[in-house]
Amino acid sequence: MSNTYTGEFGGQFVSESLMNTLGELERAFNEAIRDSKFMEEYHYYLKEYVGRETPLYLAERLSEKYGTKIYLKREDLNHTGAHKINNVIGQILLAKRMGKTKVIAETGAGQHGVATATGAALFNMECTVFMGAEDIERQHLNVMRMEMLGAKVVSVHSGSNTLKDATNEAIRTWAKTAEDTFYVIGSAVGPYPYPKMVKEFQRVISVEAKKQFMEKEGKLPDVVMACVGGGSNSIGMFAEFMDEKEVELIGVEAAGLGIETGKHAAAMASGRPGILHGMRSYLLQDEDGNIELAHSISAGLDYPGVGPEHAYLRDSKRAKYVSITDKEAMDALLELCRLEGIIPAIESAHALAYAFKKAKTMKKNQTMIVCLSGRGDKDANTIEAYFKGEGYMN
Amino acid sequence: MREANRIEEKLRLLQERNEKAFITYMTAGLPDMEGCAKLIQAQEEAGTDILELGIPFSDPVADGPVIQAASYKAIQQGVNLKKVFEMVEKVRNDGCNIPIVFMMYYNTVSFYGLAAFAVKCAAIGIDGLIIPDLPYEEQSALQKILDKTEQAPILIQLVAPVSKQRIPMLLKNARGFVYCVSSMGVTGQEASFHKDIVKYLEKVKSVSNIPIMMGFGIRTAADIEPMRHTIDGAIVGSHFINLMEESNYSIDTVKKYIQTFKAEMNQK
Repeated sequence: MSNTYTGEFGGQFVSESLMNTLGELERAFNEAIRDSKFMEEYHYYLKEYVGRETPLYLAERLSEKYGTKIYLKREDLNHTGAHKINNVIGQILLAKRMGKTKVIAETGAGQHGVATATGAALFNMECTVFMGAEDIERQHLNVMRMEMLGAKVVSVHSGSNTLKDATNEAIRTWAKTAEDTFYVIGSAVGPYPYPKMVKEFQRVISVEAKKQFMEKEGKLPDVVMACVGGGSNSIGMFAEFMDEKEVELIGVEAAGLGIETGKHAAAMASGRPGILHGMRSYLLQDEDGNIELAHSISAGLDYPGVGPEHAYLRDSKRAKYVSITDKEAMDALLELCRLEGIIPAIESAHALAYAFKKAKTMKKNQTMIVCLSGRGDKDANTIEAYFKGEGYMN
Repeated sequence: MREANRIEEKLRLLQERNEKAFITYMTAGLPDMEGCAKLIQAQEEAGTDILELGIPFSDPVADGPVIQAASYKAIQQGVNLKKVFEMVEKVRNDGCNIPIVFMMYYNTVSFYGLAAFAVKCAAIGIDGLIIPDLPYEEQSALQKILDKTEQAPILIQLVAPVSKQRIPMLLKNARGFVYCVSSMGVTGQEASFHKDIVKYLEKVKSVSNIPIMMGFGIRTAADIEPMRHTIDGAIVGSHFINLMEESNYSIDTVKKYIQTFKAEMNQK
């Protein structure tokens, strides 16, 4: 297999008109990450603009309740409210270095769109964000934020009108305009070198977490956990721990209404390998090989595929992948609000929900890090509607 | 005994007659399976040289709005690869001998299974494959299986206006014809060809040992007049689908369009 693959996964399944573009991108990226000036600039903006490093917080009341030490990596405290900005700063600096003047992006929940619009404003680039018509309805606040930041939001009316279709449209536009336009992919998906690029620009999460944990505990954590949609925060959270074989890595997918109902987004729980968005990876597919719609209360996990490196980590058994239902995630969300005074994104609440289950099987002196990938402000409407429906608020 | 591939056979005949090839694209299963079969036969009668049959896929990233919509509609009507195989098999049994090329996305092939797919295509008489999301670097797995299968379809190579230094590599083992994409991006952009289109086609022509066809955004023979002497044929997709839909899949309209295009393109 060529270097575009991780095991049997990855590759470059794009049209011929993008092959030279991907080649240029790979060369530029490999040069940039070996260029200390580029990396200094990247880390400068992460510190001064994004507000890194983010705390590794020992959640005392949660630890008390579940009987094991639970640390939260507070990516929710980043500028724009999630880990997405780490990668955007990296990719936009790379775009600038390559002489591009325009950026495009796809977005589901709107977090990556907001982060890209933010980076584009900061570095004076023209920005267009593709978003499914249905997601525009669900995430109106983020649409407004992107527009305030000067981005053009294109409503995508094709297929299922969600993230998958927004990505298709971004790929089509990219194929037309690659000569002056850089496609900023937000998740650990897409044709090579995107999954690798996203991993490198999200690696900072685990570089910090590992160092912080060492300082606090003088050892490695027993378990490291993160939610998985496409898999950007999780690949960043896993990166520095992959070679530490004693650290258990757990990725948490969205089980939606339950795996058995078929209405979920857990590509690795029931998917099979296939080809979508330029990569070979696990995908939800129907009996004809068409891509199935994902279902999750969390727009950020509502994606029918998963990044190729996660597929590899699953098959090689280096990481374990589990899933959490909408209900379990929402219960965990409320628990974090009440016990720690932190409102997490619904995405991150999936990781928390499994953390609570896992903690019950662990000993008091054992430790885990959960990546709190984003804050829940953007989800206020969804949370309200959910708890109204469930009667929690009344 | 190995028979000649229908595409290569047809192109050899056209070359002898000093004629250009006319290639159409239609989404399989529209307006329905029976109607589609009739349209294939009508096209053979009207003189279409090679027929591309689009296998609908949920995420057609290489296609513009017209083919996306057609693909979506076909899926809603339950069209899938198995049913298309059945339809083509029937058409072939009824004596249809037009070269047929599947235009499809790689997931559909991969999901069916590469070896089973190659064998099935060979058995029912599929002559070529166009897979826009399977660039040269990803072709070896499928190509190896096609090479091992008797009467297997030809994997057609696509070339883009920005392929540049890649062109010799793409054409080295190419068979059938070369599919020259006229513009960046997706199908059906209404004659807004790439700015360097003629130079690019001349470059491909100079490297190629097989006929070169131009596709994406072509509506009438007039659209290809500036490059008529460089190319060996034209492919019409989105416009052809619009024409069929607007005429309610009228056989007469389809036939007239094909005959007119062919005559105009081959005017000396």
